[in-house]
Amino acid sequence: MENEKITSVQMMMLLYPAITATAILLVPGVTAQHAQQDMWLSPIWASLIGFLTVHITVQLYRLYPKKTPIEYSVDIAGPFFGKFIGLLLLFFYFHVTAIIIREYGEFVVGNFLFRTPIDFVMGAMVFVCAVAVRSGIAVLGRLAQILVPVVILLLTIIVILVFPDIELENMFPMFENGLLPSIMGAATPQSWFSECFLMAFLLPHVIDENHGRRWGNIAVVSIMLTLFFTNLATLFVFGNITASFVYPVISVVRYISIADFLEHVEVVVMALWVVGVFLKISVFYYALVTGLARWLNLSQYEPLVFSVGLLLCLLSNWSANDLVELTHFLGTTGSFYLSFVQTVIPLFLLLVAKWRNRAASPQPAVSHQERK
Amino acid sequence: MRFFQRGKKGRPSQPAVTKPSGTQDALAVNMNDNLQKIQNIYRDCIDVIFRSFKIGGHTSAVLIYINGLANMEEMNENVLRPLMEKNSDSRQGASPTEQLNATSLLEQQLTVAKVNKVQTIGECVQYIAAGSPVLLIDGQSEGFALGLSEWEKRPIEEPIAESVIRGPREGFIESLETNLSLLRRRIRSPLLKTKSVTLGKYIKTQVVICYMEGITPEAFVTEAEKRLQRIELDGVLESGYIEELIEDHPYSPFPQVLNTERPDVAIANLLEGRIVIMQDGSPFVLVMPVSFYSLIQSSEDYYQRALISALIRWLRYLFLLISLLLPSAYIAILTFHQEMIPTTLLLTVAASRERIPFPALVEALIMEVVFEALREAGVRLPKQTGAAVSIVGALVIGQAAVQAGLVSAPMIMIVALTGIASFTIPRFTAGIALRMLRFPMMFLAGSLGLLGIMLGLLLILIHMASLRSLGVPYLNAHVPNMEHQAKDVLTRTPWWKLNARPRINERRRNNRQS
Repeated sequence: MENEKITSVQMMMLLYPAITATAILLVPGVTAQHAQQDMWLSPIWASLIGFLTVHITVQLYRLYPKKTPIEYSVDIAGPFFGKFIGLLLLFFYFHVTAIIIREYGEFVVGNFLFRTPIDFVMGAMVFVCAVAVRSGIAVLGRLAQILVPVVILLLTIIVILVFPDIELENMFPMFENGLLPSIMGAATPQSWFSECFLMAFLLPHVIDENHGRRWGNIAVVSIMLTLFFTNLATLFVFGNITASFVYPVISVVRYISIADFLEHVEVVVMALWVVGVFLKISVFYYALVTGLARWLNLSQYEPLVFSVGLLLCLLSNWSANDLVELTHFLGTTGSFYLSFVQTVIPLFLLLVAKWRNRAASPQPAVSHQERK
Repeated sequence: MRFFQRGKKGRPSQPAVTKPSGTQDALAVNMNDNLQKIQNIYRDCIDVIFRSFKIGGHTSAVLIYINGLANMEEMNENVLRPLMEKNSDSRQGASPTEQLNATSLLEQQLTVAKVNKVQTIGECVQYIAAGSPVLLIDGQSEGFALGLSEWEKRPIEEPIAESVIRGPREGFIESLETNLSLLRRRIRSPLLKTKSVTLGKYIKTQVVICYMEGITPEAFVTEAEKRLQRIELDGVLESGYIEELIEDHPYSPFPQVLNTERPDVAIANLLEGRIVIMQDGSPFVLVMPVSFYSLIQSSEDYYQRALISALIRWLRYLFLLISLLLPSAYIAILTFHQEMIPTTLLLTVAASRERIPFPALVEALIMEVVFEALREAGVRLPKQTGAAVSIVGALVIGQAAVQAGLVSAPMIMIVALTGIASFTIPRFTAGIALRMLRFPMMFLAGSLGLLGIMLGLLLILIHMASLRSLGVPYLNAHVPNMEHQAKDVLTRTPWWKLNARPRINERRRNNRQS
């Protein structure tokens, strides 16, 4: 698993769907609840967390090159606490991956395949992702480079196709209650942006790692723009009733009707959206499985893939009772849960690492690598 | 290269018993000893001729050749006549007992352009088998292999399997020498290198690896050589044997080696830094490493004007998707997503399906299988009977089945369109991969609708992304070489803009190089 290499562009193309794929589903609705007509502004506030996370991740990687959080947490916090933090991260990614799979399953079963058992829908996806993860990061990178342009093209086409239905006045009155509602609305999207921390698991495989920071930031910007435009589109179409939809973007797509022929394209949208979710689950799954292998000091992660996949299926079944509970979790506690583990803990790690580095600086000849 | 190791394990190491004994012996000074040994090797072979004569009337010599593989006329004129003449100028004044000088004989009397000296019995046999007459002279410990081999071969014709509207009309034939000359005639640079590898212990088929020095990465050549040398087969009748034995993933539906009958395709690939493997006895040469994109491109894409080629390429990509997805999309939409069809169209389809006893999946499966069978029947039939197949196909299966209410008319259209679509893929091997994958896709569509199709497509893509051809990723033209992808995969940029050679060896991983 050490030889597989991707480029920094591919890393960006893995990060992009890893955040947007589910962010355009539930998030606009939750954002609209707080921000109402200012919901378009929220992704911009939320992206600040993204930039911060990228910064922390890159700084940590500079201090501990070729290492993932699982390894440098041991270097920073010592063998016991370090392993504990690693385990925490692993359980976190276990949980989050299962939630993503559940989100996907609920979405498909609730909108398209009404009578198909959700476990089958989720199991099929986990199987495909497992095959991809087993093939290695290079294959994932190549897939992302092929698929992500298609997904972006799709989103652009959707935004263009809803043009006949937009009503610009839905945007007004702008900042009716000041900036606060839009900042409140950013609470949920910011947790998605904290998922940029996944970069930490990809960076050791990036060939041109010095470009990592740049492409990480480009990923954040492109995610921010995507959410900005989709929020804008839903706002223009639905106005203040956006908050009452579970999946506002899909409802917007249902509105598309051109020349009496191009109708009900939401199935096509779903089919292509599946591509994004596939990449998202695969990236999380990859981080989880390779992290687990590193935590257990295994030389290969491939044998773990299918067994972890089975556990993911089970956990996704247990992660929530139904969609309402899931949405509620993601709109409230979940936001802070995600950004706490993926932004605050790394920040804490970075601070400790810096402090220990400064403590060690009287002997500049001894670098942090040799010190371990 | 797990595959080869596995193959080797299954094959017991062959003892050398079947080898004719004494082939490694050096030629003895006494000609009769040598003659006896060779006669013993070629016992019960009536087509091997041993022609004894005396050089200048005193030194006995023998000419050994295989009837039909050597040019008789030249042998008579340039070998037997000058040698048998009693008072040739060069031997004037020489006493009959004087030791006959082999070198002077070669320099002064043998009027043959290509002569090789042979030292052992084994070498003699090798040359005789290849058609070169071997001349043995009494008192000499070396013989001469005369390059006079000549046999009947097919003239150079236009390749049937790869026809073009515009482009060279010549194709490779079964003779390796002719095929090599076809390459040399076009590439006049000495940088075109041709390395010979002899295949197998028994067949001794000559295989040649061609590459351009300085363009082709050295690693490709050594790797291909290594893979070829591992082959142990009793007979290689077609380059398909070699293809199967040297490809990276034998169980993949996608071909990882390009085969072509056209010299211009081979040359284009040589110039892009790939290697070309030629085999004696097959008009199909192999090109490695290839990406998926080169399998869905035609040589004509580069001969037509750029704009036309780009449009045709897009058309081909569209029909590539249709040939893979159309039946499964039809099944998925009819079974799961009826709301996608506009109402009027839905009514028409529903009306035509009213009397059909099968669900869409079964109907599509039946028709697709019948279509594949019809096509297979059409390929190998004599031309006269071929017409009957199309009548049966069009009338009985098309018209009558719809009227009898067994299949719906839209289904016939779907199958026909899929068939047309699969003919637009220029490479047969690539088209057949998609034809194969169509069937699992139909099952996925029948069970999970469009979601199933997407999952199936993703699986295919994952598989393709993990494929390698000669160690080079299969989707390589796309990734990591974005510039080349845009210029020569998504469209076909005019030649004056197509400056960069595809960098096929960039970022190679070495662990597949066995």
